[in-house]
Amino acid sequence: MSATRAPLDGATVEVIRNYVHSVAEQMRRTLVRSAFNPVIYDVLDFGISLYDSKHQLMAEAAGITHFLGANDHALVKLVEYVGDGAMEPGDVYLMNYPYWSGAHSYDAMLCAPVFRDGEEGPAAYLAVRAHWMDLGAKEAGYVLDSTDMHQEGLIFPGTKIVSGGEVIRDILELIRFNSRLPDATIGDFHAQLAALRTGEERLRQVWDKFGGQIVEQAIDQVIEHGERVARRAVAALPDGTWSAVDYVDDDYVTDDLIRIAVEVTIDGDEMTVDFNGSSGTVAGPVNLPIGSTLGLAKAAFKGLTTRDEATNAGHFRPLKVVADPGNFFHALYPSATFTQWSAIVAFELVYKALAQVIDTLPASSGGDEPGFMALGNDPRTGRDYVVSNNEGIGWGATRDHDGGTAQQHPSQTTVRNTPIEVLEHKAALFHEKVELIPDSGGPGRHRGGLGVERVVRYMAPGEVLSMKKKSKTRPWALYGGHEPEPSHMDLWPGTDQEKRVGMYRAWMEGGERFANRTAGGGGYGHPFERAPEAVAADVLNSYVTTQAAREHYGLLVAKDGTWQSTPERSAHTRSESGD
Amino acid sequence: MTDTNKRPLRLAVDIGGTFVDALAYDGTTGAISLNKASTTPAEPAAGVLEAVEGLAGDLASVSAFVHGTTLGLNAILQRRGADVGIITNEGFRDLFEVARAAIPTEHMYNFSYAPPPVLVPRRRRLGVPGRVDAQGQVVAEFDDDAVREAGRVLVEEHGLSSIAVCFLHSYANPEHEQRAGAVLREAFPHVSVSLSTDITREYREYERTSTAVMDAYIRPVLNDYISVLESRLRERGLSDPLHIMRSGGGAMTADLARTAPLTTVLSGPAGGVVGAGYLASELGIEHLLSFDVGGTSIDSCVIVDGEPGEVHEASIDSFPLLIPIFDLRTIGAGGGSIAWVDDGLLRVGPHSAGAVPGPVAYGQGGTEPTVTDAALTLGYLDAREFLGGKMDVDPVAAADAVRDRLAEPLGVDTAEAAASVFRVMMARSVGALREITVERGLDPREFTLLAFGGAGPMLGPMLAREMGIATTIVPRVPAAFSAFGMLMSDLEYEFSSTVLRSLDGESLAGLEPLFADLEEQARSVLAEQGVSGEQGRLVRRVDVRYRGQEHTLGIDLEPHDGATTVLDRFHELHRSRYGHAMDEPCEVMTLRVRAVGSLPKPALAREEPADGPAGAVGSRKAFDLAVGALAEFPVYRREDLAPGHRVPGPAIVEEGTATTVLFGDQVLTIDAYGHLLVNAAQGGTEETTREEHS
Repeated sequence: MSATRAPLDGATVEVIRNYVHSVAEQMRRTLVRSAFNPVIYDVLDFGISLYDSKHQLMAEAAGITHFLGANDHALVKLVEYVGDGAMEPGDVYLMNYPYWSGAHSYDAMLCAPVFRDGEEGPAAYLAVRAHWMDLGAKEAGYVLDSTDMHQEGLIFPGTKIVSGGEVIRDILELIRFNSRLPDATIGDFHAQLAALRTGEERLRQVWDKFGGQIVEQAIDQVIEHGERVARRAVAALPDGTWSAVDYVDDDYVTDDLIRIAVEVTIDGDEMTVDFNGSSGTVAGPVNLPIGSTLGLAKAAFKGLTTRDEATNAGHFRPLKVVADPGNFFHALYPSATFTQWSAIVAFELVYKALAQVIDTLPASSGGDEPGFMALGNDPRTGRDYVVSNNEGIGWGATRDHDGGTAQQHPSQTTVRNTPIEVLEHKAALFHEKVELIPDSGGPGRHRGGLGVERVVRYMAPGEVLSMKKKSKTRPWALYGGHEPEPSHMDLWPGTDQEKRVGMYRAWMEGGERFANRTAGGGGYGHPFERAPEAVAADVLNSYVTTQAAREHYGLLVAKDGTWQSTPERSAHTRSESGD
Repeated sequence: MTDTNKRPLRLAVDIGGTFVDALAYDGTTGAISLNKASTTPAEPAAGVLEAVEGLAGDLASVSAFVHGTTLGLNAILQRRGADVGIITNEGFRDLFEVARAAIPTEHMYNFSYAPPPVLVPRRRRLGVPGRVDAQGQVVAEFDDDAVREAGRVLVEEHGLSSIAVCFLHSYANPEHEQRAGAVLREAFPHVSVSLSTDITREYREYERTSTAVMDAYIRPVLNDYISVLESRLRERGLSDPLHIMRSGGGAMTADLARTAPLTTVLSGPAGGVVGAGYLASELGIEHLLSFDVGGTSIDSCVIVDGEPGEVHEASIDSFPLLIPIFDLRTIGAGGGSIAWVDDGLLRVGPHSAGAVPGPVAYGQGGTEPTVTDAALTLGYLDAREFLGGKMDVDPVAAADAVRDRLAEPLGVDTAEAAASVFRVMMARSVGALREITVERGLDPREFTLLAFGGAGPMLGPMLAREMGIATTIVPRVPAAFSAFGMLMSDLEYEFSSTVLRSLDGESLAGLEPLFADLEEQARSVLAEQGVSGEQGRLVRRVDVRYRGQEHTLGIDLEPHDGATTVLDRFHELHRSRYGHAMDEPCEVMTLRVRAVGSLPKPALAREEPADGPAGAVGSRKAFDLAVGALAEFPVYRREDLAPGHRVPGPAIVEEGTATTVLFGDQVLTIDAYGHLLVNAAQGGTEETTREEHS
């Protein structure tokens, strides 16, 4: 491609951009409709990305935001490992080596190089990452206490699994014999493969229509455009350096809090996000490989700068991410990384730093993806089950509005919870309650959203995995708002065995129960400044109890919704207006 | 059914955003006539009556009246439905608010997303004792008194007149919901009660709750409307039942519509799809894409062998609805979409100028050029003939806006900028149409395009060029084609039940009583609609999937089909859709019975062949995409074109409410029924295509 070539007109570029984006969407539809495990088809836990010959992101399909960013790093590593020269038409590669793939070992990335006649090396790469149900880690379900990678299942570093269009049977059999749930795992592999085949066919049609070189040129211009838009957005932010600290509960090996720290520097049209002030790599599986760190930083950056744009590589050019090898955010082999959802806790840290100068940013959400997994054998069918649920949390309040209630964590906004009726069909579980938790939203002029309580009884013996990364410290509030209670799980609630846990794996006998309780969002502004009408409505709806209305908001709310200020609230109002 | 010889007039009325289209078909002469009236949002029945008035003063001569209404849809979109209360299981009052906990995909990177206020506030959501498990077994007893008390709170304390009821696993055992319905109806006879399992027997509690809530939300509004309309039509002499169009095709009597209002919400676009399916069958077109272009959106549906694709879940404004609908893909681009330059890139949409201020050419304050302005600039639309000359438009203002807002920033001339608006819009449309064809495992180039709606005939041939589609069909009266589809509707209703069991010979036999139960319900509904034995037809279908997979494929059952036959069909369909089949156990998720009551339909009327060459009535300069420059386009009147005529592009065909535009590399022929067929000129297939369709 010649550098002096005349640029394509803005309409042609937009036309080609639409065509290429549609290829990603067509792949997504194929994956969802042929997937086997509910984490893909129902929870929508996947990431689909298209790259050009220079390994630049051309387009993505809606999926998990930090998966998408991690694919970028994984592709670069795949090409380093396999070599472009060794790739051939019809090949598909499988990667789940955490330090390269930027995710835990059960998030399998399949990547297909796509070739154009007469050109050397791949002209594009298609990547589909999705969560697999089991790849033979040391225990069924998620591994909470591994201390090195080899306890986390079968590893593929970028292994050719399809050659010239034919699935390599030996590799597939290796997966089948190493998985506790081979049907679902192989089924999902086929679904990913179907998505790649759709993508390849449709991308070729785009090349045929416009010419491969024209498409490359248009994509270059799309990426340059993306970079300009992102740089302008960064330039509009104030210059300076701000830092923030938060904590991940522990690594499940020791009980120590793990410090995560970020320093965000905005300098003109560039932003640097530096994690070096954080803890070093720890023994348990909560460490982040650099690909995960890049993914989370990119997603957070995109939310700040180009959130309404269809994503391409240009959007991330103004971003620099720093995390030195050996840091918690840059784990090296053989550090354990299976429960690396500490990335979710770290996700909002960039916002915490910048909220000091940008007053439109929200307070913390519940700060985590506080879901659970259940496993056991269902006596109704005699089959083993593994089910999981991603629970909604409250989001942080902002300057302009209350936080959303019961929404997925900001790092995975398109993920969905699993219906009760699906869970009870697939697993010997019985729900006693799924309700919002009154007073769980952090009080403030604008209130944080509410969290969710879920009480589940085991109908037969089985295990529960409580997946929490932030149950010991509270999500932060802003500008005088209050911090909410953090997420946690109560095992055997209401019995003398009752035990409050964060990340935990427990055996449940038939008839025993757990209560999963998720955090609300942080409040924004002093709660005495909340409109009394809003507090009264919250009380009538039991989002806020009358006690909390009095204690936090300084309002005595009657049954009919009328209110009266406490002396404390009146004094606050006088002092504010007296200034 | 009625004696069509005595009263041969059939009427269909479709309410759109701006106009009410009324179409009359005269059974004796075969003539189709159209009348339009303005939509009257304050009193919707008035517009319907006005539109009908122009076609038939005395409705005694009408043998069938089919109506499609967007009233329910608008009530949801504009939040003008009834105040609703929810009764559900104790401990689960928040299921409607927790929902699936996802935020809309278009906001996926908006980390301070503010959700809209919840439609049913928490204080109006109450839980009552009683619980059924996943097998449908009662594990906690139902409590009449608790339901009565919950009803009292909602009706007396909150002043509500519409209640939605949804209990966990009610799809497996609806007994508790039915008892709750009986208790509430007895205690509060004038309160509207919507039970989730009266609408759907499918699983997923949030989706079913949302379905019941939406039903409760629109039921009072829709019932009032239907009652008013029915009595006003009776006053004008209508003696046959009023039929309402369903979202999933087919019509139902007004009485049935009152009990199932939700099934009407997407009935407007459904008319067009039914019409497209009918034409595909009559003309023998294997693969047809419907392309319905309105002011703000394009609706498209894949039709294979005359059967439009269907899905069993719809979504309106993020609310899921478990109702059968046509598998329509809606693209947020239409005549009102705004074109703008974003740092050197030309974008079309997502913003629309709407009806107010509308395109720049309307002179109502619009300053940003729209697709309509680009069409006027390029000569595709004639300012003097706009909407049949009923509306004044200013093409100069349109061209100025295109020049200032698009051409100058892009550094191209005005015509090229306007043409580029269409290139971008076409790219968006092509993407969406590829997505719906890939789901069927088909290539869009295998399709014929059926272009209708006000702007469909202008954009259809353009889209066909872009997608490599050989033939575009423009039906008669394309702007009112949805109403035409309604004329072609049968009575239809669907019954379903989630079963979730493995698929083998034994299980298939075990399904027989369940099917028999669904068929009994289906027969009784047909009987209520006045369909006697031989006019009614029941079709059985099972939704099958690989065990562990979520998405199912629908397999039609013939009498005496064994499990092996069903499995073979499933594997084959899976292979054609997804490129692979698996050696895995399969399961049946849902049983469906579709009840069809045939209504007498007009046959497609053949038109008199041409008795001379086609004569243009004039010409105008327009932008020919085939050469990328302005060219002289002969202008024809549609009524002057007849079977046998062959018009090479570029050319324009005007018919008052629609304009067909074909380019220099296309050719127009007229088939035996008067349809316009636009073909690729170089393909060499245009003559044979005409023969096939004749």
